[in-house]
Amino acid sequence: MNKPSNPFAKGSTKPTCMEMLQTILDGEATEEQKAFFKMHMDVCMPCFKTYDLDMAIKQLIQSKCCGGEAPPDLVEKIKAQVAQKTH
Amino acid sequence: MEIEEAPRQHYSDKEKGEIFNNEFLPHITSMYNFGYRLTLDRDDAKDLVQDTYLKAFRFIESFQKGTNAKAWLFRILKNSFINDYRKKSKEPSKVDYQEVESYYNSDEVDRQITPDLRVESLKDMMGDEISNALNSLDVDFKTVIILCDLEGFKYEEMAKILDIPIGTVRSRLHRARNLLKEKLSAYAKSMGYNKV
Repeated sequence: MNKPSNPFAKGSTKPTCMEMLQTILDGEATEEQKAFFKMHMDVCMPCFKTYDLDMAIKQLIQSKCCGGEAPPDLVEKIKAQVAQKTH
Repeated sequence: MEIEEAPRQHYSDKEKGEIFNNEFLPHITSMYNFGYRLTLDRDDAKDLVQDTYLKAFRFIESFQKGTNAKAWLFRILKNSFINDYRKKSKEPSKVDYQEVESYYNSDEVDRQITPDLRVESLKDMMGDEISNALNSLDVDFKTVIILCDLEGFKYEEMAKILDIPIGTVRSRLHRARNLLKEKLSAYAKSMGYNKV
């Protein structure tokens, strides 16, 4: 049985694990690439472990570094300054 | 969603107001947080965001209504930071970016680094550690992480915001993630998180 073709491949160049992982992490993967990588992780322990760690860091950034709301007076200040420019 | 240089538009005052209020101002929180991550000072972030919005209004006819306002605003903010804020603050000993990039482009960092950092260690960290690690990255590395992981921009948008080729966005993100992992790993070690 033929192995499914690698959707990360560009031309005849075989993508490395790191290239595939980065495409996933950076949010650039297609659904087909995501499905392929999921299957790949079943047989590639280093990818599985690195994916787990990298996604945990990414999620930590998203949950802890998102900052807060902009100061409430900022929009009013900007609007006032723009109004000055137009009058 | 494009941020190509569009041909100059012609808007009435009413249209300008609508674009400003409906397409620019909804991004105020993302803009403020990006400004804060770059300047690491809340007052400077406010000034930077105000300058950005004033510039966006002044050049509103360079913006094509209905296109990617967020990427356009981020691009103006990033340029304002580099051209105005950095000059004003006379930032001392700015890292020579070329030097950093060539070092991090070397094979040295292409290995999978910090295998000893464990997911369990991350779970024990409070928000401050990850935030401090991110803040401590050189601004070019910090910026790509913010744009990708916090703001969800695509390679193509980041390339336009940062004025660099897509290949450079990709390699810079890779280096930035490795640097962040190194910092988190050092922190985890210092706290004894990785002891088995």
